[in-house]
Amino acid sequence: MRLAWVELRDLRNHRHTVLEDLPDGLLVFVGPNGEGKTNLLEGIFVLYAVGTPRAATAEPLVRRGCERAYARGEVASAQGRALIEVEIPRRGAARMRVNRSPVRRRRDLRRHVRAVLASPADLGIVVGDPARRRGFLDEAVVALQPAADTLSSAYDRVLRQRNRLLKEHEGGGAPVGLEAWNEQLVVAGTALTRARAAAVAEVGPAASEAFERITGSALQVRYASNVPTDGDLEEGFRARLAERRDDEIARRTTLVGPHRDDLDLGVRELRARGFASHGESWGAALCLRLGLAAAIERAIGEAPLVLVDDPYSGLDPERRVRLGEDLRARADRAQVVVTVADEGHVGEASAVWEIRAGEARRRGAA
Amino acid sequence: MAYEGPIQELIDELARLPGIGPKSAQRLAFWLVKAPPDEAKRLAEAIVRAKERIAFCRECGNVAEGDRCRICRDASRDPTQLCVVEEPTDAATLERAGLIKGRYHVLGGAISPLDGVGPEDLRVQELLDRVERDGVREVIVATNPNLEGNATAMYVAALLKPLGVRVTRLASGLPVGGDLEYADEVTLSQALEGRREM
Repeated sequence: MRLAWVELRDLRNHRHTVLEDLPDGLLVFVGPNGEGKTNLLEGIFVLYAVGTPRAATAEPLVRRGCERAYARGEVASAQGRALIEVEIPRRGAARMRVNRSPVRRRRDLRRHVRAVLASPADLGIVVGDPARRRGFLDEAVVALQPAADTLSSAYDRVLRQRNRLLKEHEGGGAPVGLEAWNEQLVVAGTALTRARAAAVAEVGPAASEAFERITGSALQVRYASNVPTDGDLEEGFRARLAERRDDEIARRTTLVGPHRDDLDLGVRELRARGFASHGESWGAALCLRLGLAAAIERAIGEAPLVLVDDPYSGLDPERRVRLGEDLRARADRAQVVVTVADEGHVGEASAVWEIRAGEARRRGAA
Repeated sequence: MAYEGPIQELIDELARLPGIGPKSAQRLAFWLVKAPPDEAKRLAEAIVRAKERIAFCRECGNVAEGDRCRICRDASRDPTQLCVVEEPTDAATLERAGLIKGRYHVLGGAISPLDGVGPEDLRVQELLDRVERDGVREVIVATNPNLEGNATAMYVAALLKPLGVRVTRLASGLPVGGDLEYADEVTLSQALEGRREM
């Protein structure tokens, strides 16, 4: 999968930025901090995400003083060429078009474009609380299977209903109707658990491979499902609910289900959170993203766009070299776009853009 | 912008109706003001008449003129089959299709703790009483195929089954005349689950 060109308008600090004739291989954005490298990378990612992983709403994407941000680009894939257009208003729903026809759902867009973004904020997946890892799990589920994008919100809705029922319950015994909500929880919960387990089975081994290649150490990735995944999932879920029933009523909240999942990450047999160094933690986070990219490639038969924000800063010189080699090897099969602040990290690239004050200038161009 | 006196009062009243925003309320209000006098009068009278005369059927909870609705009064309807719906509009939709030979039972909503609606707020006990009293043999649960409707269906079914009555649920699946390509994942998987031998 490759991006032929991209155009951003009023997106973060980019008033109007066009990158034309994007070649295959490794593309590099270089420039000092705060000039708009990350924003440009994020703008490309908007073509897949229709939003930003950096904020809860899309509003920060809109340039100050503007009403809406635009990202347009042409993607060539095994499906053919597709013109993707995304319009993000300050408030309200984003609008999407594929080949000039409006599409309603993100999954319709994602039939034509797949992208993986790795950024320093991903460090939180490794060192942050379990909610960050569940967030990664659900991103991975959707990235691998765009039609599964309703699983997590469907589960969340059941959970909120059931929690409210437990919270407002007064008096002894179970709240009336709890059994009916149990069953809804089991249905939505097992669907989400299955999807997360399948995603980890795909992403985990690929992430470990990348980590080994780049750091020389082992990375363990294991899905720590809250409900037992050996045996019949539905039965296991129901049994666990029955076990915790009195606790749930006493504590007035749902204690069983994928909202209590985690992703166990281990470096050199130690739990990454709390034991790994900063460099190792960043390496693990980056490799989870690279593992996801590899898993997508296996699932759809072609590599997604790989966007990597500032990968080298946290690594020692030897690992920088190995990461550079890894990214160049990936770039043989797909486009890899990397931002660097340090001129020394540009390396051998197919094309380099210098980013200053929200404008991009291609190096070597007149 | 705010208008003077009666017109603003009318706009405010209309804007309280479900599905009517301030702009629609303004448009309706001006249309009524400009319309011939008997137009507005007819509407006002229809509203008052409806409020005075329309009650809810004591059997099924549907809207009725009098204490029992037309369907519950109709002796030709099969009394052993009940179709459970959330709202009177759902009963009307099914009735238009003319597929239900029995009678309806309107719950008056669906269970939703987030909206403060519990089973005790719905006409569930009335349903159980009716099933026992009328010798109902089949209950078709036609609550909406969303989370709240499904939870309600499950709750109702659990109470009905011990009474020895057959409980069925409307199937979910592909829309007739639709395109497979446009079906979403959840609908497809339900359609696959409910596939039939040919």
